[in-house]
Amino acid sequence: MMDSEQLLEDDHEPVGFDWSKLSKASLGEVAIRFVFGATIALIAAVVAHFFGAKAGGLFLAFPAVLPATLTLIERKEGTTKAWADASGGALGAVGLAAFALTASLLLRWNPVAALLLALLAWALVAAGLYFLFRVTSLFLKQDQLVAKRR
Amino acid sequence: MSILSVLVKAIVGGVAVVGFAALGTAGHPKRFAGLFAAAPSVALASLAMTVALKGPAATVPYAQGMLIGSAGMLAYCLLSLYLIDRLHALAGSILSWLAWLAVAGGLYLALER
Repeated sequence: MMDSEQLLEDDHEPVGFDWSKLSKASLGEVAIRFVFGATIALIAAVVAHFFGAKAGGLFLAFPAVLPATLTLIERKEGTTKAWADASGGALGAVGLAAFALTASLLLRWNPVAALLLALLAWALVAAGLYFLFRVTSLFLKQDQLVAKRR
Repeated sequence: MSILSVLVKAIVGGVAVVGFAALGTAGHPKRFAGLFAAAPSVALASLAMTVALKGPAATVPYAQGMLIGSAGMLAYCLLSLYLIDRLHALAGSILSWLAWLAVAGGLYLALER
């Protein structure tokens, strides 16, 4: 069950990266992510071959790795942290749309620049939304709207 | 489509996922780390490989399909928020695939007809 006090405490942490956490990740966790990532890339290629490129492209935005990620987070850090990760994922998904739109508009012009700009679009939209939600009360409103009432 | 090119796409996709997942593991707070759960890891690897193998014009429909798929990804994350709180992460996150399927599949069928 989601703990709103723990969530609030977590939200107040400064934004950054703690690289020492990487040493705590087991080889099994890395292998699970690799297998899910490789499998969805494989599915996208096979679907594109049989049903067309646009149908295959759908699977480039399929949340293949999220169940494994969220389950691992819940086991290690609890349901609230898994909830928070999914909450960030929703903002990342809007960035994913920005990535796909930028790529589809610019690929014919210059493919290398298009993919780099698409990645930049993802980062700007996802991080921009995150900071917008963080400095306003939008995270709180989202939590109140979706969380189980107790 | 050769088997070799599909295998290379799969391996590059897997490596990209591991790379972005590392950013998510190291990132804090958790909502910020969650941004990397919806990073374009498989997309970046697959689109780059497709450009190299088939050229930019043939890659555009993949990106257009991905744009539709990303609406499904947003629906997935929103439903998973609702379900994780009620069913826990494993059941909630797997059941939420239905939201992706309904939104991405529904939009694809509606737009492609």
